[in-house]
Amino acid sequence: MSHGKNERSFVRLTKSQRIQHVILFVSTGLLILTGFMLMGERWVIDMFGSAGNEIFYWRGIIHRVAGVAVTLVCLYHLGYVFLQEEGRSWIKDMLPRMSDATHASQNVSYMLGFRETRPKMERFTYMEKIEYFSVYFGMFIVIVTGIMMWTEQYWPKFWLDIADAFHLGEATLAALAIIIGHIFSVHYNPHVYPMNKAFIDGKISESMMKEEHGLWYEREMERLAAEEAAAAASGGGRNNA
Amino acid sequence: MTNNYSEDNPRMKTKHTTRNIAVALCLSIAFLMLLIPTAALAVDDENCLMCHKYAGLGRYAKNEEQKAIKRIFYVNEELFRASFHGKLRCKSCHSGVEEIPHTDVKQVDCATDCHLNDPSTGRDFSHKSIVDDLKKSAHGADGAKSPELIKDLPTCKDCHTNKPYQLGVDEEVESMRFIKVCLECHESEAWTNRFYKHMFYRAHTRRSSKQVVALCSQCHANKEKMDRHDIDVVIGFKDTFHAKAILYGAEDVANCLNCHAPYQMGFSPHRILSRTDSSSPIHPNNKLDNCRQAGCHADAQEAFASKGKAHPSNVIVERVDEDGIVISQEEQKFQAWVLNMIELFYKILIVVVVGGLGFHRLADLYATHRERKIAFRAAKSGRHPS
Repeated sequence: MSHGKNERSFVRLTKSQRIQHVILFVSTGLLILTGFMLMGERWVIDMFGSAGNEIFYWRGIIHRVAGVAVTLVCLYHLGYVFLQEEGRSWIKDMLPRMSDATHASQNVSYMLGFRETRPKMERFTYMEKIEYFSVYFGMFIVIVTGIMMWTEQYWPKFWLDIADAFHLGEATLAALAIIIGHIFSVHYNPHVYPMNKAFIDGKISESMMKEEHGLWYEREMERLAAEEAAAAASGGGRNNA
Repeated sequence: MTNNYSEDNPRMKTKHTTRNIAVALCLSIAFLMLLIPTAALAVDDENCLMCHKYAGLGRYAKNEEQKAIKRIFYVNEELFRASFHGKLRCKSCHSGVEEIPHTDVKQVDCATDCHLNDPSTGRDFSHKSIVDDLKKSAHGADGAKSPELIKDLPTCKDCHTNKPYQLGVDEEVESMRFIKVCLECHESEAWTNRFYKHMFYRAHTRRSSKQVVALCSQCHANKEKMDRHDIDVVIGFKDTFHAKAILYGAEDVANCLNCHAPYQMGFSPHRILSRTDSSSPIHPNNKLDNCRQAGCHADAQEAFASKGKAHPSNVIVERVDEDGIVISQEEQKFQAWVLNMIELFYKILIVVVVGGLGFHRLADLYATHRERKIAFRAAKSGRHPS
């Protein structure tokens, strides 16, 4: 699984996507931390001692600021996938297809040892698609219930209780899914340990691309070949002139 | 005869010296007494401390529930003099103690006139009006359903003890500076000190919200006791945002008293009313004003104060208030059901999602392990794996 230094690499994440991701994970991290501070047991909270009140105040401020940041980045992302060329190609490749189900079953049988090879997968694997759309589902719930609780004076108390229950449930689910799903796949996965650097430099190595996104690799190769051919053709044309 | 007392009489000279020594002795004793702290000099004209100053004074007894308790009758004079009631004579509260051994001791009644002059009226001071208020309140004997239940009700001493005035170091320094100003006019330093500390204590909240919650919880979190009185046991408060903030030490969120006995709405902890009482701050008619008071939820709308409980409880008892508004059991049951369903939904979702993800990751690790084994064997046998 060696990825040579001089190996060819391809663009996995563009600058805009990387910036969106940084805003998303920094604010989500803060939201999880400051949110679950409300669920702490008494003996944990007592450890803050006399600084507790101050900490509680800043907890609230940070949670709100991070909440606004995450909402804005989500709204930006919606605009991005509908209005920008780059975003449209992203969402086009991200949409679930029948082939994803085939890939899932083939990959699971491979992992369990019933198949000789991994299936060749697209630009986004079925797992990545699940993770991506889970964020839509989760964000919708936490943003709506978060706004409800921020504007509590206009809502019946029972609705707020419901919002609270959804906010907590969704946050717990998201925190666990991020830790067990995402962190494991991009950090503790032996293929990429200690981390998949794509979120920093946006690059994927050729060997990794071949291994994990075989169909995308082939598609890209065809495109490059076609481009080269076109360039050669137009270049030839110029020479002739 | 007159010569007998002449100055050169040697006998008379001796007598004179004796008298001088006696005077000097008296003066020096008087001077030494000035050096002894005032507490030791305080007049115990009832002479109670003759016995009660001994630290071993006490006995074992049984309480109402037939449990052995230790009763201590020792009084530390210095601590008592520094306490809220330190200026009172023992018998002001412990009335009727005339016989020794004491067989005629009555229960202390805080409504007694205590022979202290109330400077605001000039009459004897008494806690009677507060005792009367308490009697009429939800905690009072007037509303008790049966005589046996009366002993469950809180008495003055359940919330109040006669503690010494205690100021923090900063407060003490500040008060020493301040009392100097008072002493420009007021003569008695002891009186000024006591008066200042009294005002200081009254001007500051002595119980933190955490302590208030702990105090009320002593009874209201006791399901057995609350069941006896047909009241919902309070179990939901600890999960509210208010409770979390209080745990962190915040004092600007509501504790029990801020909603159940808001001073801003003319209530006091001694005048807490049942929620079925139409003038109670937590009665449906007054809830909105209650939420809006003291600038807490100043712009709360009608909906905010209706439909839902401030701190839901799992014990649901149907009640009808005096205006005939049913505090509905069905609605509460439905609300509890909805919230439980949401929790269940997420529990299932978490098990499925986390289980699925965990399974996938473990399977992936298993596959990697296999791949590595194959690669290792291939390397050993000198073949390239692919």
